[in-house]
Amino acid sequence: MSTCSSPYCNAGWGELLSSLSPYGYANFGIAFGLGFSVVGAAWGIWLTGSSLVGAAVKAPRIRSKNLISVIFCEATAIYGVIMAIILANKIKKPSDGITSELPEDWDFPSFYYAGYGMFSAGLSVGLTNIASGVSVGIAGSSCAIADAQDSSLFVKILIVEIFASALGIFGIIVGIIESNAANFPIASMSQE
Amino acid sequence: MTDALCPSYAVSLGYLGVVAAATLSNFGAAWGTWKSGVSVLNTGIRHPTSVMKNIIPIVMAGVIGIYGLIVAVILAESIPTPSKNGDNAYSIYTAMSHLCAGLCCGASGLAAGGCIGIVGDYGVRA
Repeated sequence: MSTCSSPYCNAGWGELLSSLSPYGYANFGIAFGLGFSVVGAAWGIWLTGSSLVGAAVKAPRIRSKNLISVIFCEATAIYGVIMAIILANKIKKPSDGITSELPEDWDFPSFYYAGYGMFSAGLSVGLTNIASGVSVGIAGSSCAIADAQDSSLFVKILIVEIFASALGIFGIIVGIIESNAANFPIASMSQE
Repeated sequence: MTDALCPSYAVSLGYLGVVAAATLSNFGAAWGTWKSGVSVLNTGIRHPTSVMKNIIPIVMAGVIGIYGLIVAVILAESIPTPSKNGDNAYSIYTAMSHLCAGLCCGASGLAAGGCIGIVGDYGVRA
């Protein structure tokens, strides 16, 4: 195995992945989890809302029933908020007395474990909520148009939206399982 | 503490496999749901009795999301926390296999979901 010994090259992906601080990974997980969930919810709401508002011009009776589609989209944003709150409460500062550098016997393996775990929890919730939000939005927009034509279709159409919003639930299940094991150490190992 | 075969960054690769399994197969499930859902609803205007029959592609697409969930949970449960005295129990070998297992499930879920969507779209209209 030939490794580059010049001061200008790094040791590969391993050095890159472990050079970013686990606190940074965890906070990026929160940001991606909440941000992407809101992107998915917003995308779904504008897809369904524009069709709903347009179809309601000729068929005003659909207005209140079809707000359920908007509520399904909003639920994906709420999953993101739940995950962000769970993760934000898990980020802990080192205990008092550690000022400039982490001590030698800091529990680095679980430190890194916690950072990566929270990053992937946030990412899985955020990206699945984009998928779920867009899916509910497109289904909801067709729902509004079909309901305007024939109001007996509405209940059957809701089945499509329920399947679409289940995808967001899958994401938060995975996120909660991943973040359960992620605990930041707060004191060096000799003190714990 | 951490030797070269069980580095700390192995956990990031393993968890990326979990993310890939969960998110990519959910993207496929969403694609299948909306593509076939739109055509089900549009044909339901003219043929209302066909709606319940044509829900089948949407159910199948939802099942693809469940496959991704199952694989993601299995992978996430098999990534061990570091032991109390600071040793990593997770090797880079296992991490790479988890990463690629997740990508395998996710990419095939994406393709399967898209396929269900397109086939369901044309099948419903037929």
